[in-house]
Amino acid sequence: MRRLLVLFAIAALISPAAIRRLTHSQYNNTVRDLLGDQTLPADNFPTEDFVHGFKNQASAQDIPPVLAEAYDSAAERLARNAFQGGQDANHLIPCKPRNAADSACAAQFIRAFGRRALRHSLTGPELQRYQTLLLKEARRTGSFIGGAQAVIEAMLQSPKFLFRFDGPAARLSYFLWDTMPDDLLFNAEESGALSTREGINQAVRRMLDHPHAKESLDQFVSQWLRFDLALAAVRDRSLYPQFTPELAISMTEETRRLIADNVWNGRNFMDVLTANYSFLNSDLAALYKVAAPPSEFARVDFPADSGRAGVLGHGSFLTLTSKPGDTSPTVRGYYVREQFLCQQVPDPPPGTNSNLPLVTPERPQTNRERLKVHVENATCAGCHTLMDPIGFGFEKYDAIGRYREKQTILFFPDRRAKDQTPAKVVVDLDTSGVVSGTRDSAFSTPKGLGEVLARSAECHACMVKQLFRYAFGRMEETRDGDTIAGGLEAFRGSGFRYKELLAFMAESAALRKGGN
Amino acid sequence: MALSRRTFLRGTGAAGAAVRIGLPPLDAMFNSHGTAYAAGKEAVAIPSRFVLWFNGNGIPERYWIPAETGPSYDLTPCLAPLAPFRNDVHIITGLDNPASRLPGPGNDHHRSMSGLMSGTPFTGRGAGGPSIDQLIAAKIGGGTRFRSLQIGVCQESHGESIHRNMSWSGYERALPPELLPHNLFDRIFGVKEPSWVGRKQSVLDAVRDEFKDLNATLGKQDKARLDDHLASVRDLERAIVSLPPDYAKVEEPEAGGDVKDYPRVAKLQTDLLVHALASGQTRVASYMLTKCQSLVRLPWLGYTTLRHHDYTHTNSESPRAQRIMRDICRWHVEEFSYFVAKLKSTREGDGTLFDHCTLLYVHEHAEANIHKNNGLVAIVAGGRRKLVTGTHSKATGTMGDLYLAVANGAAGAAIDAFPTASRKLEGVLV
Repeated sequence: MRRLLVLFAIAALISPAAIRRLTHSQYNNTVRDLLGDQTLPADNFPTEDFVHGFKNQASAQDIPPVLAEAYDSAAERLARNAFQGGQDANHLIPCKPRNAADSACAAQFIRAFGRRALRHSLTGPELQRYQTLLLKEARRTGSFIGGAQAVIEAMLQSPKFLFRFDGPAARLSYFLWDTMPDDLLFNAEESGALSTREGINQAVRRMLDHPHAKESLDQFVSQWLRFDLALAAVRDRSLYPQFTPELAISMTEETRRLIADNVWNGRNFMDVLTANYSFLNSDLAALYKVAAPPSEFARVDFPADSGRAGVLGHGSFLTLTSKPGDTSPTVRGYYVREQFLCQQVPDPPPGTNSNLPLVTPERPQTNRERLKVHVENATCAGCHTLMDPIGFGFEKYDAIGRYREKQTILFFPDRRAKDQTPAKVVVDLDTSGVVSGTRDSAFSTPKGLGEVLARSAECHACMVKQLFRYAFGRMEETRDGDTIAGGLEAFRGSGFRYKELLAFMAESAALRKGGN
Repeated sequence: MALSRRTFLRGTGAAGAAVRIGLPPLDAMFNSHGTAYAAGKEAVAIPSRFVLWFNGNGIPERYWIPAETGPSYDLTPCLAPLAPFRNDVHIITGLDNPASRLPGPGNDHHRSMSGLMSGTPFTGRGAGGPSIDQLIAAKIGGGTRFRSLQIGVCQESHGESIHRNMSWSGYERALPPELLPHNLFDRIFGVKEPSWVGRKQSVLDAVRDEFKDLNATLGKQDKARLDDHLASVRDLERAIVSLPPDYAKVEEPEAGGDVKDYPRVAKLQTDLLVHALASGQTRVASYMLTKCQSLVRLPWLGYTTLRHHDYTHTNSESPRAQRIMRDICRWHVEEFSYFVAKLKSTREGDGTLFDHCTLLYVHEHAEANIHKNNGLVAIVAGGRRKLVTGTHSKATGTMGDLYLAVANGAAGAAIDAFPTASRKLEGVLV
């Protein structure tokens, strides 16, 4: 056993690898911009795992054999599609080959395409390597395009394409655009414009105005707020017949739109937690029992007395933190701590019995009553007092985010019983909640917690940390203190304009030696 | 419309220029005793194979663990699907997973999974070392087209690396399973043109050369990552150039169909695995029926209210919850039983493919609700004349001890050590 512990200690000292691989979404976007291919080939790659809350963390970006095979099949198909019908429809070849073995044209093509695909100006040996490949395959297939196709197939599998040995241009574009640099960025890097703070700042401002920046932010938001969990949610049909995959998609769309509206219209980002309006389609309006929007996903204002506000009042959050048949105050509290306060709640100790007291018609209990076992047991209380009391404040919002004044508990009879009508018991709900450890944090609605978080310095810092983790593909470390502090200053100093935080983080990433 | 590689190759295959891959062991290849490949002057022994089979979450012990030990134990409800094969399997209970109790990050699922597969504690991101199937593959997988295969069925999980993967090539290095039958088919049995192989080799030559430019400038960690990538490219190349001739038995699974109809998917994946083993394309595989801390719903069993993991913690001591878990764990055994049946119906030498396979069936936990990580259950099967079968034993030892016994004694992999193992578990080998 001791040997094991020593091994473990050694392993823990090895710091995570710095080099990053294209994420699946970056792969899709890059081949779109490089080849004009819209087929999203990476959607068929092995799914990316969440590490530190994101799917882009360097420590998880290996290329196991099954992924190498997927890259290979994708490269083969992409290279073929690039020259459909033997035509160069996307003008990838900058010259007109005189014959299959036109080596001057081959060199021109390799230099131009390689510059964009491998994201650097090719060296002599690289040119030679791809030239040999092109001419060999051109000879074998009898066509220049056959050779060019092999070059594309190879470059798309090169470690220089798949991994990011980035200069400032690619560091900026993969963070702000989630894709490869465009010609302007490449040129700026080559001319040295990106080696000055002013040059970088100028590039960042241009990039933030580009539609790619919006898609890239959506990608970050969908991971940070774990849309995947809402989209994969299942609900007990007997309790929530209206919950469908379409409704789950609408829920994530609502959250996406609220944040996009906030960021790109330069609002105070903390309003995302307190907004008394949202962007709803008719399904969500019906779910929230508010007036239908004039058009799908148009802005709808909530009534003044509504407890629903900000993302904590969204169906997405309320659903993805619930169980198939019930809300989970614990998971809701856990999510608030992890996502909005960047606090890590310890895992339950080994061998925990996680059964909660049974709810019966004779002993109908609210979740607040059932979860008392967590505070009565000292082993559980330490962590559960951090989570459960946050979740209690949401108890008037059920497992799909509908408002309920009281909780109706249904008891379904045994399957063999003749009468299948469920027994109903209605219980009162107490939604007083608190963020223990945070001063003046008592609340009783999503809006109330939103206000607590919006003025919490810890929450402000967490916004910066989450973006840092995504931008750098790793957890923040001691050496990142200045970046986090600088980001917080830029964020707060601008009145919490998220665009300023994005700009600050992009500039830091571009300026860092080696991008890390 | 974009053509899939399969469609494309099918088209060219019709011209008669295609190469099918995977060679079945033909009778002509055996000597007169039927015990060995007769290729060359010296007979070559039929290779041993190893398959590690995993089921997420724990079990309801009362419905799974037989009350009696010895050959005349009564099959429990969960084990009932193995009735036709009770003489071919060895039920082993009482195994320990001590690495899951070492201090460190993670919850009981993370910790149990890392300990179960690798004998090392969860790192916070993944397993702390190579999993047993990969240690075995390193010893016996070198001569086949695929060093090992990772196959999966159910997809629902919490989405972290440790939930989604059972095979690990090393510290935090996950080997994800192939979950879709038509993708798996394409990898193993896709039809290729001969000219395709030529182009692939030229392309991959260039890709391999690209690595040479990088090594000088990299730090140690990055170098290791690039080395891994290069190893993957070499594996790919090996799979491409070692296309043996025709193996026509395999029917291509439809690309469509309900990919969440898991009993159907499980059988398709099993069929492909059996063909891959029979045609000598790999000797080692892992089969992840459900994910770690599986969140699968089970409509085919009539249980749609909750997901598997929810059932293990929702009033789990009640008779109803115990019955539901019983049915779920019986389904796991049913799919395993289908695998055994398939292997036994595939002739090889003087017996069947099953005789030359070592199967090891493991569960994430013993009793599910409390995440019990001692008293674990396992099923060992196959390995004729090497493995004890037809009995239930209560063991005193670790999973690692069991791994050492089966790896050395039946799978043909000489492995001296495994974390948490101190000896080869007694009573497993003949």
